[in-house]
Amino acid sequence: MQDLIAAQTINLIYAVTLLAVLSLGLAVIFGLLGVLNLAHGEFIMLGAYCAVVVRQNGWPFLTAIPLAILVCGSIGYVIEVLIMRRLYRRTFDTLVATWGLSLLLRKSAEAVFGLTYRSVETPLPGTIDVFGVPYPAYRLAVIGLGATAIFVLAIWYGNSRTGLRIRAMTGNPELAQSLGLSVKRLAAGTFVTGTCLAALSGVMIAPLVPVFPYMGLDYVLRTFFVIVVGGLGSVIGLVYGALAIGGLDSAVSAFSNGTYGYLSVIVLAIAFLWLRPRGIHVRG
Amino acid sequence: MSNARLAFVDLTGGYGGAIVVRGISGNVRAGEVLCVLGRNGVGKSTLVKLLMGHLRCWSGEILHTGTAIQHLECSARSRYGISYCPQERTVFDDLSVRNNLTLMGDNRDLGRFEAYFARFPILKRRLKQQAGSLSGGEKKILSFSRALSEGKGVTLLDEPSEGVQWENILHMAALINDSKRAGASMVIVEQNLEFAETIADRYLVLDQGRVVLEGTRRDLNREDLLSHLHV
Amino acid sequence: MSAAKAGIMVVLAVPFAFGEYALYQMSLYFLYAVAAVGVGLCWGQVGVLPLGHALFFGIAAYLAGFVLIAGDNAPWLLLLLPLAALVAGIIAFAIGILVFRRVGESGPYFSMITLALSLLAFQVTTNWASLTGGFDGLKDIPSLPGLDSTMANYAASAAALVAVLAGGHWLMASPLGVLWRAIAQNERRVALFGFNTNLLKAVAFGISGLFAGIGGTIYASQQGFVTPQVVGFGLSAELVIWAAVGGRGSLVGPVIGTLLIGTLTSELRDTFRFWEVLTAVSFIVVVLFFPSGLVGLMDPVVRWLDGKPKVRDDIEAPVSVRNGAPPRRLKIDQVTVRAGEVLILDRLNLDLGSKGISCIIGPNGAGKTSTFNVVSGEMRASQGVVTYGDLVLTRMAAHRIAATAGIGRKLQFPSVFPDLSIAENLAIALWSGRASASDLLRPWVRRWTSPLLRQLRLRYAFLSSGARKASELSHGERQILELSMAILTEPRILLLDEPCAGLSPDETSTVIDVIRWASEATGCAVVIIEHDMSLVLKLADAVYVLHNGTLLARGSVKEIQANEDVRSIYAGNRK
Repeated sequence: MQDLIAAQTINLIYAVTLLAVLSLGLAVIFGLLGVLNLAHGEFIMLGAYCAVVVRQNGWPFLTAIPLAILVCGSIGYVIEVLIMRRLYRRTFDTLVATWGLSLLLRKSAEAVFGLTYRSVETPLPGTIDVFGVPYPAYRLAVIGLGATAIFVLAIWYGNSRTGLRIRAMTGNPELAQSLGLSVKRLAAGTFVTGTCLAALSGVMIAPLVPVFPYMGLDYVLRTFFVIVVGGLGSVIGLVYGALAIGGLDSAVSAFSNGTYGYLSVIVLAIAFLWLRPRGIHVRG
Repeated sequence: MSNARLAFVDLTGGYGGAIVVRGISGNVRAGEVLCVLGRNGVGKSTLVKLLMGHLRCWSGEILHTGTAIQHLECSARSRYGISYCPQERTVFDDLSVRNNLTLMGDNRDLGRFEAYFARFPILKRRLKQQAGSLSGGEKKILSFSRALSEGKGVTLLDEPSEGVQWENILHMAALINDSKRAGASMVIVEQNLEFAETIADRYLVLDQGRVVLEGTRRDLNREDLLSHLHV
Repeated sequence: MSAAKAGIMVVLAVPFAFGEYALYQMSLYFLYAVAAVGVGLCWGQVGVLPLGHALFFGIAAYLAGFVLIAGDNAPWLLLLLPLAALVAGIIAFAIGILVFRRVGESGPYFSMITLALSLLAFQVTTNWASLTGGFDGLKDIPSLPGLDSTMANYAASAAALVAVLAGGHWLMASPLGVLWRAIAQNERRVALFGFNTNLLKAVAFGISGLFAGIGGTIYASQQGFVTPQVVGFGLSAELVIWAAVGGRGSLVGPVIGTLLIGTLTSELRDTFRFWEVLTAVSFIVVVLFFPSGLVGLMDPVVRWLDGKPKVRDDIEAPVSVRNGAPPRRLKIDQVTVRAGEVLILDRLNLDLGSKGISCIIGPNGAGKTSTFNVVSGEMRASQGVVTYGDLVLTRMAAHRIAATAGIGRKLQFPSVFPDLSIAENLAIALWSGRASASDLLRPWVRRWTSPLLRQLRLRYAFLSSGARKASELSHGERQILELSMAILTEPRILLLDEPCAGLSPDETSTVIDVIRWASEATGCAVVIIEHDMSLVLKLADAVYVLHNGTLLARGSVKEIQANEDVRSIYAGNRK
């Protein structure tokens, strides 16, 4: 019994951390630029394919990280310059444009890689005992890395000069401009950061899930739900959202099966969208 | 005009299709304050926004030490040497007072603000507080201190005294006069005539988007100015 | 020959020009087109983008599947078949009402809710195997009696498509369609004319759900099976692409998009693997640069086919429900409005009386526009009440205040509907307080006119060039158009927020004339927020001075000018 509780607890922690990390890129772009990036899931997908590619070529797993940053960073930059730049503050148009972008990336991946499911061999095989329960080592690494990434990002955002300037730009763009901040450059940097974060989380999950062109669809919704439930604009909100969505999913799945877990997540998210679209944690 | 730090010639502009400023000219030299007066809705804030680049000029010229800058965007004008205090949304609400002050500086040292803390001890006491939690008047003081401390050649202040206690308005006047002596040029939009009188070298009085009266503080008497301010 | 007739001739020609397989393909894509027309109606007309519209297609398909299977033993059950489509429409309407009422907005969040619902439906249909047949779906659905040949199926699909297009055309030509397009451009302004915009949007969403449902119902009979794919993301996405690429702003656009992209996709998907990448690129390009889609490119042809629009005579509108009713007293009693920490209105008392022209003046941030927002129901008072006669306005929705109390408003920045014609702009104002729910479905109601409109047209010639778009007008003309619209509603109280902002002195003096004339001609009370003292001097019977969210002074223009308190806030002093 005790083992079961321990196993479920660590599963829950794993699910919540993973979800929070997957949501970071979406949260950065939505929270700071007001763009609901529906192609977020596709950037995760591309990140995961980077891991597939490096493994196929026999390179070390970690080389997927620079590759993902290079690929998704440049795609993100081109998209920002060609499309997003003219659409900021037109939320609805950005929604349609990124929806089209998600389609484009998905179909491109399908054309290049085909529809088959790929798997990536885990870089950390074996298990480690946690409270007497053997647990996959790579999952533990995900928990550790994910928690660190969230923590570092929160600190950076709250204190670094660039973080402060981004917040200044978001909160009061007119004043930021008249202080000499180049809103264009900051916005492009923020968008690229968001796509890179998505890609990195994609690399991270590649050894854990089947990789295929349509995998992004599920992630964009789940991570959007995290943000809807948590509330925009703070890392705390993101963690709350991941706790609520990941926690509910894990709990319901544990007692019945995964489908009901997913169902309950959708119902919770719709309830939030409907009744409390600003989420649990509202900044300020 | 040749020795003007900032000059604007025949400036026209507004919002959407609405003309608010209709062909206004003026200039300000080094070590000089130009006060823009007028009832509300006559185009004072619009004029300052045109100068800063928040609104595009429909026609006319803006010269910074003789160079045309009306085509530059706002952040470029700022780097050219213009500071700005808006009338509304004066500070970054979700940044601390300290971060509001040091956002653009090369370092986060507070030494350069000592003169301001001496006049406005409240700023020093509230350094860690979020600027959004300050009162309207306190925000004005913060915004004012931030802009003046940038030490740029030209400073544009849009109603700095609105909502500020008289005692602190006098401190503002003293600080403005200090920077003036150091060679700064300022364009200040004001509603409070008594404050304007303590700082202005020259006046520009607007009505319905046009200049209706202008001159040095010696040329103009109080009654003339008041006739354009009262309802 | 009109474009519609040309389209019908193409439909009739297909069976003879192509083979059996093409016919079968076309019958399927006609049904998808029916659903895509629904998406186009929502997105192109009302500006609401449904990302999960397959939901309604699928619900109807499953329901129709159940009915058809049951009908094998009890043929009378087949009479229930139309209900399948109707239920889909009703569900869509209900979702619309619930969400629009609650969230108010119809942007991204609504789109995401529809997407989530469609995924939810996919999960339910996949997992509730005992009812839906699970992943393999409902199989062996008998076709409707008489619809067992390819030709008959083609005819049925074509008939459904033509019927939906005809219905859609009627809706778009009726006042309801004009209101939808107005909502897409400026929902707030429509509400201030007294229309329940949330209801109108929900009706649009319901109708688009009904259209999708019609497609789904016939689909079940035609295909003989229904799988979870028909409620899911894939079809939802295709519907959006088809509608966009074809042209969401028109009815034919989504049809052309569906037939062209849909059939090409099914041909090329397997042979040319970058085909769908190409579709995605064209979607992005169309959405960003050619919102009118493929149909937009054919506009000149369509116009040539349709010829010149016939000019028909105006029809006298019924008398406004507000006509002649004397204005009652508008009273603001101890009203407080907060935004976070800031007090915008601070226990404001304002008795605006029931006649004449009053002016509200005061420095920036005094709470003038907020006062109007509280009266017209757009801003909530945390304390205090606003009453009109014995009617309490404080808890009423903005559209009900405009409709019931007859409070008309002109906004600070001219808010006309830029993409509608001048005639349509004026017509929307005329419908306020005159058009019943059924009038909104009568196309000829768009030709209404009234004595006031005729007089306004005499004063301002540009109001007669009805076909011009409002976006082509100058700033001054837009100000006057919005003022005319506010007057045409024959309000009992007319609230004007800086009616002369940005006008030249000449334009200002004609606006002053019109305001005075309107107050006499309609007997309404006028309240004006104004900075321009020359206007106040000419018009005001009474002047109210606001400062820091409270009433500082009231009186005649002379009394206000002599008031020391007022002088001090306007020139500043040692506060």
